[in-house]
Amino acid sequence: MRVVIYSDVLDLAKELIGLANELNAETELILAGMEPDNVVGVDRITLYRGISPEDQELVLEALKQAEADLYLLSNDRRGRELVGLLAHSKGGASIVDATSVKVEGDRVIAERMTLGGKGVAVEEAKMPAVISVMAGKYKPPEEGKSPEIIEKEAPSIERRVELVDKKEKPKVGVPLDKADVVIAVGRGFKKKEDLKMAYELAEILGGVVGATRPLAADLKWMPEEVWIGISGVRIRPKLLIVIGASGQQQFSAGIMDSKVVVAINNDEKAPIFEVSDYGIVADLYEAVPKLIEKLKR
Amino acid sequence: MNIAVLLKQSIDVQELMVDPDSDKIYLEEAPTKPGEIDLNAVEEAVRIKEKVGGKATLIMLSTWGSSGKRKREAREAIKRSLAMGLDDAIFIFGADGREVDTYVSAKVIAEKVREIEANLVLAGEGSEDNFTGLLPARVAAELGWPYVAYATSIEVEGDHLIVTRSLEDYEEKVKVKLPAVISVTQEINKPRIPKLMEIVKAGKKPVKEEEFNKKHESKLKIKSIKVPKVERKKVVIEGDLDEVLDKLLQALKEEGVI
Repeated sequence: MRVVIYSDVLDLAKELIGLANELNAETELILAGMEPDNVVGVDRITLYRGISPEDQELVLEALKQAEADLYLLSNDRRGRELVGLLAHSKGGASIVDATSVKVEGDRVIAERMTLGGKGVAVEEAKMPAVISVMAGKYKPPEEGKSPEIIEKEAPSIERRVELVDKKEKPKVGVPLDKADVVIAVGRGFKKKEDLKMAYELAEILGGVVGATRPLAADLKWMPEEVWIGISGVRIRPKLLIVIGASGQQQFSAGIMDSKVVVAINNDEKAPIFEVSDYGIVADLYEAVPKLIEKLKR
Repeated sequence: MNIAVLLKQSIDVQELMVDPDSDKIYLEEAPTKPGEIDLNAVEEAVRIKEKVGGKATLIMLSTWGSSGKRKREAREAIKRSLAMGLDDAIFIFGADGREVDTYVSAKVIAEKVREIEANLVLAGEGSEDNFTGLLPARVAAELGWPYVAYATSIEVEGDHLIVTRSLEDYEEKVKVKLPAVISVTQEINKPRIPKLMEIVKAGKKPVKEEEFNKKHESKLKIKSIKVPKVERKKVVIEGDLDEVLDKLLQALKEEGVI
């Protein structure tokens, strides 16, 4: 069986190599505009130094030219964008958000979260198939075969998408999906200034602050990058403290991988208590300052 | 501009009941609603039409069977989009989501896009029930058109679009040659709430209803859907606030997380 791996993030590509090794596949890694630093465990690396990762049309063409039974991509936005395009042009199946991937004969079987986190679907397809795999599910191999490296020229195709401008988004400190402690704030906060309580709590616990969708998207109190949920960031901290958020499904699905969840909410019927380890029914304006005070002691 | 807007009939996951003990998921019983982000695509189509003129057609392929309830819900979603300002709609019903994957859906939808001679397809980046975002990409591939996902703004410039899009670490501005397929994010706009008069008028706009005709084989099979077992303690700590917080801190220390 042949596997082709692509990601615009080298660390994510390495995780996919870990998966390919579990599948005992003959593996080729395709890289666009980046160097294969410390890559082991693949048979071959095809380097396209002339393609930059933002050049979706050229990356897609390079992937189309690579023959494989299974294409593994990272589940970041660039990766997900390619899955449907590549699968359709190969006449194959497509799966995104995969949390596990297995191969049985000529079929691939993957698990993924569905129905806003209320279901885990087991999906099966005859290969060829294109699958994007969630980050953090497979470990990069520490040792393995040293790859043969082949360099290729960018394919020549008619261009229809042209990059005009690219701006880096402002960094918000430790990315939410990598933080050990997250304080998630919701609509229970009455005004933006009150969020400083949450920031203070985060600072004491060495964590970062994230928000529910209404706070980030509708009220614009916080940048879109800290919006937790199925269409935002999915987090997996050791400790999550949810303050003043009712626990809408699309939010709750984004916190499922957290180790310990604490909820502070004044509504004892709020669905957030159903997905929490420890619940505190209290006015956040009383509970949070008191909690800060106790932690400072 | 001749725009096709793809609207998904999404399960309302907030209302969906599941039973973790028996792994039963009450899909039939759950209501459906228009995909929330698809409504942003509807709104964007109306705004583009207001700026540069043209026509906008809704295409809905319902994949939740053809029961009376599902049809009624779908017609309601279509009416809402027409009231927001779309001109007409094509409603394809009778497909079963367990047998119709994005490969088949894209084939069916692309055929309709060709039929109405659209030169722009708009869709949401995903819908609440599945959130794969695969369909617009596949429609683009089927049509042989360029595809840009995660749009936060769209400007028309002659036979091109200037699309701003949001990735994890970057914001990109790209120039896309029409015809094209674009998927939008929720940040792109705020869908309008139609006025009563517009809702009344929407009832008179043409809706072409067609039965799904199975010509293509799905590539993907859903073998099972289970209810994830998230083991949470669900302990509500009671007592006066001081006591409660002390107990909480004690528990968190025992868990080794502070």
